[in-house]
Amino acid sequence: MDAIVTESLTRRFGDFTAVQDVNLSIAPGQFYGFLGPNGAGKSTTIKMLTGLLAPTSGRMQILGLDLGTHLVEVKRQIGVVPEGMALFGRLTGSEYLNFAGRMYGLDRMTAAQRAAELLDFMELSDQPKTLITDYSHGMQKKLALSAAVIHGPKVLFLDEPFEGVDAVASGTLKAMLQRMIARGATIFLTSHVLEIVERLCTHVGIINHGRIVAQGTLDHLRSVVVEGSSTPTGEKMTLEEFFLQTVGGPRNSTQELSWLG
Amino acid sequence: MAGLSSASGEQLRAIAMLRWRLLVNALRSVRGRLNLVSRGLATLLVAGAGIGGGIALGSMAWGITRESNLELLAIPLWIVFLFWQLFPVMATAFNENVDTSSLLRFPLSYPAYFLIRLIFGALDIATALGLLWSLGLLIGISAADFHLAPWALLVIGSFTIFNILFARMIFVLIEHWLSRRRSREVLGVVFLLMMVGFQIAGPVLGRYSKKTGPERFLVLQKLIPVERVLPPGAAASVLLNASRGHLAAGILFGTLLACYSAGAFWILNLRLRDQYSGENSSGGEKRRSPDLPATVQPGWRIPILRGPTAALYEKELHYFSRSGPMLFTMVMPLVMVFVLWGGRKAFMPHQMGFVFPVGAAYCLLVLTNIVYNSFGGEGGGIQFLFVSPVSFRRVAIAKNLAQLTVLAIDVSILWLGVRAIYNPPTGRVIVFTLAWYFFAVPLNFAVGNWLSVYTPKRIDYATFGRQRAAESTILLSLLVQFSAIATGAAAIFIGKRFFSSLWASSVVLLVLALPSIVGYFVVLGRIDRIAQQRREVLTTELCRD
Repeated sequence: MDAIVTESLTRRFGDFTAVQDVNLSIAPGQFYGFLGPNGAGKSTTIKMLTGLLAPTSGRMQILGLDLGTHLVEVKRQIGVVPEGMALFGRLTGSEYLNFAGRMYGLDRMTAAQRAAELLDFMELSDQPKTLITDYSHGMQKKLALSAAVIHGPKVLFLDEPFEGVDAVASGTLKAMLQRMIARGATIFLTSHVLEIVERLCTHVGIINHGRIVAQGTLDHLRSVVVEGSSTPTGEKMTLEEFFLQTVGGPRNSTQELSWLG
Repeated sequence: MAGLSSASGEQLRAIAMLRWRLLVNALRSVRGRLNLVSRGLATLLVAGAGIGGGIALGSMAWGITRESNLELLAIPLWIVFLFWQLFPVMATAFNENVDTSSLLRFPLSYPAYFLIRLIFGALDIATALGLLWSLGLLIGISAADFHLAPWALLVIGSFTIFNILFARMIFVLIEHWLSRRRSREVLGVVFLLMMVGFQIAGPVLGRYSKKTGPERFLVLQKLIPVERVLPPGAAASVLLNASRGHLAAGILFGTLLACYSAGAFWILNLRLRDQYSGENSSGGEKRRSPDLPATVQPGWRIPILRGPTAALYEKELHYFSRSGPMLFTMVMPLVMVFVLWGGRKAFMPHQMGFVFPVGAAYCLLVLTNIVYNSFGGEGGGIQFLFVSPVSFRRVAIAKNLAQLTVLAIDVSILWLGVRAIYNPPTGRVIVFTLAWYFFAVPLNFAVGNWLSVYTPKRIDYATFGRQRAAESTILLSLLVQFSAIATGAAAIFIGKRFFSSLWASSVVLLVLALPSIVGYFVVLGRIDRIAQQRREVLTTELCRD
């Protein structure tokens, strides 16, 4: 049974189709990087997979459960760090983690114990009285990830978890994610930072104009010969080269914006 | 204005176009159109208040001038001044539709920036009403004594310029202080004290009016010289001296008024120049030194609540306890008691038994913003509520329980206040009050839950007076509140008129409570479906910066 399955997943906003006929099949234990240029449909897809947005058509299954009919059961087994991080700014870090744990069904004592461990692991325990609204961006990202994993989810959805995070905080986040993968969890991650995806992910899917244009293991994609590619046959591309060739590289602008000098 | 070029004119036109496009683009959603309708109704009210107030103040000025009591002209001028300066603090409160300070990234000259902040910032209700009322004064004085018309034009014109500059000066100063959360919270307490002060001012003045003539005269004798050198007094003194032919004194007071305007202009200029030269008014909080490491305390153990409901209830109370406006609601019942105490002889000397129910109704009224926009303070946290495995029904129940807790605390404080100042409320009054709550609370919660999901508006629990619910929510909530209060009054009338008993009024309200409670559970039963349907609106509105 796959961890994440979508069939013909489509979302329209009026006349605009943000996501069209997306078919995903992600096995348990995969670290899946979901890439695409701005506005390609990454966040829309992750919002649909986590119940934040209703699809216009298509089916979604998480851990064999249909999202349309078993939404609450699915939510119990997943963790989410959405684009806005989903934090309650006027709680302290420990209060928020306690709250998150209990919302996912942990008892008071277990929630408190896990909150303490997570704050310690994320190096957030030295400011227990500081409100989240006064946290730095990196601290907020770490806290959001802590809240997403406090109940030990089997599938984790992360929307741009490394955006605006410095190298130190980024290292802590990566350590946490690798730990989860080692324990058999499935991670679905969107990111603009291709180096991070290349380093962490085992599988990659690329979406462009709402459609999946490539997916597979990282090794497989890098060895694919894209039509018109300048890379010699048999030589592996970097993920960035593959990405740019798949979604179209920067436009040739020599004839444009001549007034820029 | 020196420094303004044709490019500056183009920039001003571009900003005017920006505001127009923001208005037009807001009409793309049903909510935006509903808000426009509400805004249209509000504009009609403002126009009515402006024209009505202008006629009233103009008539007052006409009468005063006609009777040659020009020293009394200070009264309408004070009314205009106090409204112009205090209304933004109490109601719309420092909320520019477009944050013009963000325009600094464009190559604006300083004079253009100054003008933009002055003109676009002054497009508010207080300025509109202030201008109409000032026009009324000008017409009233000129109609009563045509020879005074040029002086009136000069004085009212200067007074208007002073008010605009002074209001903008207060705005930029407050904006500067509000840019940091901690000072925002401190300022919240100042707002609280101001609002309480104004609530108390009425009864205090009422009691003062009961003093004997000589006592009042002594106080007035001390106040008048001070009042004359303040802007409204100075403006009135110019006209008074002009009418008596004391030109030198008139010019002196006129100069004083001009000095006030110059002072306001100078401070406004200083602040805006600082902003223009790159002061980061939205700078972050001062980094705290690390607290001592502490173990994480488990969540509260709440006897009748379990699991997520307890966690949500605890979270709500954490939010309330860190909110200045919430402190305000705790104080308001006592203020109400004091207000009623101050006005007891004037308004209802034989009806003091109703202080408790009236105060109780007021307690519910001050919770309006929280009950009718209960997700407004969640911010990005709303996404957590959607991705967590907890139904919105449970979330709504926990929120209503927390609101009920605040209401219970408010009513307890009220009861203590009533008991201390008058007598403890009688049994029949307490039963009547509870019966009204059984009717009004579920009604408010039902409509409040529905509107909270349907027309959410992001608010900051820590900030006073800078934010409102959506216009449509305000209108509907006021309608429900007034209906509930009118129903209570009607129940009293029915009980007294037909049964000569307040017990009968309580029975009427308890009967009405049944459909109210059923309605609450009906909305609660549907809240999950509505929340799922409205999740995009909720997350988009509440997660925006």
